[in-house]
Amino acid sequence: MAIKLEYVARETGTNLKRNFTITLATVMTVAVSLALVGASLMAQQGVERATKRWQGGIEFIVFLNPNATDDQITGVGADLEANPQIESVTFVNKDAAFAEFKELFRDSPEMIESVSPEILPASYRVEPIDKNADIVTALSEQYKTKPGVSEVVSATETIRLVQRFSEFLTRGILFVAIFLLGASGLLILNTIRMAMFARRREIEVMKLVGATNWFIRVPFMVEGLVQGVIGAVLAIATLAVARPTLEGWLPPGDQIPLLAGVVPQSSDMFPIYLLVGLVGCLVGAAGAGVAVTRFLDV
Amino acid sequence: MIRLENVSKAYKGDTVALREANVNIDKGEFVFLVGASGSGKSTFLRLLNREEVPTTGQIFVAGKDIGQLTSWKVPYLRRNIGSVFQDVKLLTNKNVNENVAFALEAIGRPKHVIASQVPAILELVGLSSKAGNFPHELSGGEQQRVSIARAFVNRPLILLADEPTGNLDPATSVGIMRLLERINKTGTTVLMATHDRGIVDTMRRRVIELDRGSIIRDQARGVYE
Repeated sequence: MAIKLEYVARETGTNLKRNFTITLATVMTVAVSLALVGASLMAQQGVERATKRWQGGIEFIVFLNPNATDDQITGVGADLEANPQIESVTFVNKDAAFAEFKELFRDSPEMIESVSPEILPASYRVEPIDKNADIVTALSEQYKTKPGVSEVVSATETIRLVQRFSEFLTRGILFVAIFLLGASGLLILNTIRMAMFARRREIEVMKLVGATNWFIRVPFMVEGLVQGVIGAVLAIATLAVARPTLEGWLPPGDQIPLLAGVVPQSSDMFPIYLLVGLVGCLVGAAGAGVAVTRFLDV
Repeated sequence: MIRLENVSKAYKGDTVALREANVNIDKGEFVFLVGASGSGKSTFLRLLNREEVPTTGQIFVAGKDIGQLTSWKVPYLRRNIGSVFQDVKLLTNKNVNENVAFALEAIGRPKHVIASQVPAILELVGLSSKAGNFPHELSGGEQQRVSIARAFVNRPLILLADEPTGNLDPATSVGIMRLLERINKTGTTVLMATHDRGIVDTMRRRVIELDRGSIIRDQARGVYE
């Protein structure tokens, strides 16, 4: 039997109005927890982008002269490969460097236009076996004077610190967010339960005259879903406002290069919004689903 | 229309509400269920619309073994069975019209059907002039009429009434009984559980008497005792 849209909308509306304060509390909790989920994802993504070159144990990068000969390039590479203190070496050619640059400055076309693959240097990314700072420094020094090398850049303590701190922050926020999401789910469940209790006489009559289970359940399920969705919309709005604000606060990238990509570009936000929205729907549907199956059987 | 074969119903703690009941009720019959409180009258009625499931035995309604119904088919069984109670079970926040219309809305009837059926049934129960009133503005008898209208608006094959006159004075009760008789004359099978000796004795219909769960009398054109 088809369930009329108008009926569902009216019944859901009545339920939401009748329990307005508890609905509001639920929606706010959902919004806060989802905003935290989003913030955690933003922090993670921002730091990941800003320190992309330094992931996977890379401790120093040997930049080659743009006009280095092929022999010089392979010579440096072979030298690095042969070094017993080095775990692995990755060669990044000009095109790959340009691709990475484009990715990092995706939302700043003027930056990308000012750069071409030719002017970006090729490089070797090096992961040493021992990551002790002194050893890394000594090791990297050896390559500064090799023919064809323009400079050698080490991962500074700052970068490591930023990575560790962001990891801690991301996990911390996510941990709190998961707890709050659990609370949101339970709040939705109880809101629905209260709505069902408020309408227990109607439900009794509906069962008596032969309304199907789904006919009785759907308005309550939609109610839970609506709470989750409104919470998600609020969370997304918060994140959308917070991102440019944060970008405005931080010093521009040309002063402190490390911070260049810490705030995710707006184009990176879409998957985060999508995830936040989906989690909102999921929490709402799960809370309501449990409520109707546990407390609304014939 | 209704057939019980060796039906027993036991609740937790060895309470036997119905014991080896064998009853056959034809279409269009009017049957009184009598007996003391706790004799199993309500259980008898609740078994018929599957609010309860028998412990043993089979129940056939309109030829179907309702013990075999899957739970999602139960609502469709109930659409053929109207129910009326002593405590009317009207929705206090809805007026007479809305209370009756609610029964049709709940089973997804289209608006134009509701718009034509509800006034017709209110006419039948004699409450056309009170369509806009709320339950608390009605007398006990009027409230019971509304509840009968709600039970009958979908034109069920069977009407179950559990002490519908239990809260009413004798004069009002007579009015309710006339209404149930009228409904019965349309071909609807009516089963009514009652304590009301006067009603049973004047109507002289089939009487099934229960005592502690056992059928001790099944008499055509019977009296209360």
